[in-house]
Amino acid sequence: MAMTTYVDAIKEGMWEEMEKDDRVFILGEDVGIYGGAFKVTKGMLDRFGPMRVIDTPISESAIVGAAIGAALVGMRPVAEMQFIDFISCAFDQIVNFAAKCRYRWGAGVPIVVRGPCGGGVHGGPFHSQNPEAYFFNVPGLKIVCPSTAYDAKGLIKAAIRDPDPVLYFEHKYLYRRIKEELPAEDFVVPIGKAALRREGGDLSIITYGAMVYKALEAADELAKDGVDVEVLDLRTLLPMDEEAVIATAKKTSKVIVLHEATKTGGPGGEVVARIAEKAFEYLDGPIVRIAPPDTPVPYSPPLEEAFLPQTGDIVAAARKLAAY
Amino acid sequence: MAEPTTTAKRGRLTHVPSDKIKLEMLHYMKLVREIEDRIERKLYRQGRIVGGVYVGLGQEAISVGTAIHMEKDDVVAPSHRDMGVFLMRGITPRRIIAQYMGRRTGLTRGRDGNMHMGDMNYNVIAFVSHLGDNVPVAAGCALVFKQKGEKRVALCYNGEGATSRGDWHEGINFASVHKLPVVYFVNNNAYAYSTPTTLQMAVEDVAMRAPGYGIPGEVVDGNDILAVYDAARRAVDRARAGEGPSIVEFKTFRMTGHSAHDDAGYVPPEMFEEWKKKDPIPRFERTLMAEGVLTEKRRDEMQMECVKIVDDAVDWAEQQPYPAPEEVTRDVYYEG
Amino acid sequence: MSVDVIMPQMGESIAEGTIVKWLKNVGDKVERDEPLFEISTDKVDAEIPSPAAGTLLEVLVTPGTTVEINTIVGRIGAAGETPRAGKPADTPAPSAAPKPAPAPAPAPQPAPVPSTATATAPHAGERTVVRSSPVVQKIAAEHGVDISLIDGTGEGGRVTKKDILSYIDSASRPSVASAPAPAPAVAPTLSAPAAATAAPRAAGNAPRPQVFPAGQDEVREPMSIMRKKIAEHMVMSKHTSPHVYTIFEVDMNEVVKRREAMKREYAGEGVKLTFLPFFIEAAVRGIKEYPIINSSVDGDTIIYKKTVNVGIAVALENGLIVPVIKHADQMNLLGLARTAADLGERARTKRLVPDDVQGGTFTITNVGVFGGTFGLPIINQPQAAIMGLGTITKRPVVIDDAIAIRPIVYLSLSYDHRIIDGADAARFLTVVKRELEKPAA
Repeated sequence: MAMTTYVDAIKEGMWEEMEKDDRVFILGEDVGIYGGAFKVTKGMLDRFGPMRVIDTPISESAIVGAAIGAALVGMRPVAEMQFIDFISCAFDQIVNFAAKCRYRWGAGVPIVVRGPCGGGVHGGPFHSQNPEAYFFNVPGLKIVCPSTAYDAKGLIKAAIRDPDPVLYFEHKYLYRRIKEELPAEDFVVPIGKAALRREGGDLSIITYGAMVYKALEAADELAKDGVDVEVLDLRTLLPMDEEAVIATAKKTSKVIVLHEATKTGGPGGEVVARIAEKAFEYLDGPIVRIAPPDTPVPYSPPLEEAFLPQTGDIVAAARKLAAY
Repeated sequence: MAEPTTTAKRGRLTHVPSDKIKLEMLHYMKLVREIEDRIERKLYRQGRIVGGVYVGLGQEAISVGTAIHMEKDDVVAPSHRDMGVFLMRGITPRRIIAQYMGRRTGLTRGRDGNMHMGDMNYNVIAFVSHLGDNVPVAAGCALVFKQKGEKRVALCYNGEGATSRGDWHEGINFASVHKLPVVYFVNNNAYAYSTPTTLQMAVEDVAMRAPGYGIPGEVVDGNDILAVYDAARRAVDRARAGEGPSIVEFKTFRMTGHSAHDDAGYVPPEMFEEWKKKDPIPRFERTLMAEGVLTEKRRDEMQMECVKIVDDAVDWAEQQPYPAPEEVTRDVYYEG
Repeated sequence: MSVDVIMPQMGESIAEGTIVKWLKNVGDKVERDEPLFEISTDKVDAEIPSPAAGTLLEVLVTPGTTVEINTIVGRIGAAGETPRAGKPADTPAPSAAPKPAPAPAPAPQPAPVPSTATATAPHAGERTVVRSSPVVQKIAAEHGVDISLIDGTGEGGRVTKKDILSYIDSASRPSVASAPAPAPAVAPTLSAPAAATAAPRAAGNAPRPQVFPAGQDEVREPMSIMRKKIAEHMVMSKHTSPHVYTIFEVDMNEVVKRREAMKREYAGEGVKLTFLPFFIEAAVRGIKEYPIINSSVDGDTIIYKKTVNVGIAVALENGLIVPVIKHADQMNLLGLARTAADLGERARTKRLVPDDVQGGTFTITNVGVFGGTFGLPIINQPQAAIMGLGTITKRPVVIDDAIAIRPIVYLSLSYDHRIIDGADAARFLTVVKRELEKPAA
């Protein structure tokens, strides 16, 4: 059976939804003729035509605003941010319009805003960001961060079918680096459910996105020392799978929260807080955050490598925590 | 100088409403004024309405003279000074007053106040305080009409202040590029809060920007409902015909402060005097009486009808329950 | 109208109690049954709830002072009533100059409270904080484990979750210990087993070495009330009864199987099934067949007790307490498990009522908690015998001429030779062994 890359999994997910549901359409910069800066929408214009794969001006606010308007009149638009870094241009539309419509006046806004996030590809300060935390404090939004091809497809489909606005952060480092066999039949990955990527008893690493792989590498390394690491992939940040977070914290009593978003105000703080609130009595050590320093994402390879959490950093922190 | 009546700047109006429509428009203008007067001058000052209150006193011709052209399936994104749009879409004064009073039966069930209300059952999109945000949203609605080949249009309202925002530009540019069936109305009422138009933009008219987007722009006397009616009709027809968006700028004047707590001390008193003479309601009444469509008696009856409607709405709204505190966490997400 | 607050009688033989601490200040509002003050007697340390709602008007006995039972120690007035000024002891804070006890009290001022530490013993009554973590504290509370007794392997000697779990695991092998009930009971309160395992601190069993201030060769630390009473009682028991000991080896294989099979069902009942109830059940059976074990001596008379009330030794921070399972002979395993759990929990949270520690006719103590193979406990007077449980350990045993590995426990019986002979003890233990080795149904 053919292996599907993470990037193709996203496309397949959108493609299948568009075949099935003519309310679904795509709009964004260079998504049509060019097939998307990362070719996520390659071939879709030919199949679905310019009315459903819409090239827009460089206007993130208009892209998201138009998606909102379309959703209000019954559609299921998928808005692409060429790099997720540019989502900040559409911040107001997302947080004040999309996120608040249902609460204010009962109007659902079933839009998906998706785009490539993350570093490791020397993209520099404006093509490497992980801006999920900006939106993490916005009630009304859902945020998903797939780490596998299966989840990439299952979550884009779930996001498109979801009645509320979903921000879909796809990690560009994973686009073509990971692949797996995907089921032929239709499937979704439910939003709000974490996945246990590795079971262990000594220590939990709670993470998401590309950092899942760093965590797994670290776990392999730590296993050599006899440290049995559990890796929980959150998959969805909002609404967070608190049950899974608390369960793993209770199980191992030692927790590392790992993410690629910078540390201060990053989503990890919320994970830590929930554990402190709901599993305090199960803790056998301080909850440790591993995240990049509070700086922009640097360009030069040695700087970027220093910025991003590396397997060695995780192993070192885990050893320390295990011995605590 | 004789008091002005309604005229058309263009000399000859392309579209003139029937007498029936004229009277209907007069009714809505008077109803808007009565509701807003009740809200701003009475209920707010009695503490029966809290928070902020924004009205469109003196601008009634714009919302009424434009929304009159809407078909049932058209979608509208009004601003906070377009009360007439809500009424003409069929949203009752009762629910509007309940909305202002924060009641369970207001359009937002107490989640939001004043003109921040909408209901897609009436194809009315709720305004947000972030000015200009509704511009791309209206474009999105129009995009769908175009995708589906439907003869629907989207109408979008803002003041001249909102036109300085990037979203306004992005939305109109997007709509223009894709030739979307949407009309952008601008209530240029001379002040954005306390900022005069001269500090808002370096051009005389917002409509002057239209050629920059490759679309028509027109400046209209916003206090002349027949001119409003005519210009709006032409823009709506153009959109409905698939010829793309337009900008229609209505020159008017905000006869109050920005909100109920703003005394508008920054406005030279003579401007109020000047614009009072152009008050769109008496102006239209004089025209209608001159045309023999309206009598003084009928005018006064219409006024009394509006008072009664609003009395009823206030009485009803005050009987309505407040939302229960436990509702605070409801409806953030779809609940089935 | 004010209500008198009195020193309660916390046990049948109790004549006096020491106020450890007032939990309310004069003038404070207090609810009925809200904890008002803490006392220490030779049997229990307890929080005493207020007899009435209102305002604490007077504190008549300052902390550190020992008074006879029923002495009025304070007064509660109607809510809003104002305390009279100038009363002698209206500061509930631990008094710096504890008044001597009015009665010929054997227990002088120093109550086992941190704040009473004196200059000569800098950290005397105080417990150094043992570094642990929330989960360790929680497990310790659930199992009644004194964390200070555990060797920490974590950073800086911190007691980790693994440490406490393996500690409990090893302790629970004997049985009595890990019970959610009288968990790591060190030794029976008034009948300490091996001195080494008895009172954690005083017996020098504390995990950390004693700190000696520079230039001092010794540190003097006054005994706590409880310690003093334990000491007195131990001496008295040894003086009263000629102790004889018999040890039996028991194969726990069947009990282990039964426990495994029943654990889930018991959990459903909200009871964590430990080994303890099996030992109690077996002991009760033995007593039924050999009632002399459940007797006491009164001069020249032997008193046989119809009811079997089994005392269970529970270790506390500063000593021991022996709550009693009343009518153990009328309970099934679930009843024993549940009662033992309840008593153990209340013992550790100082919620025992006087009746809980009275009326024992036989005592069981777990000396295997800390890994002891077996112990030779001292009889809890006026009882006639005490059974000690060693640690359950897998050992090679010969079964049908083959070597098998079985969980083995050593049971000891310490008994009063005035009325019990070696043969009686052996017969009793034979029944206990038979019951424990009885094949699971």
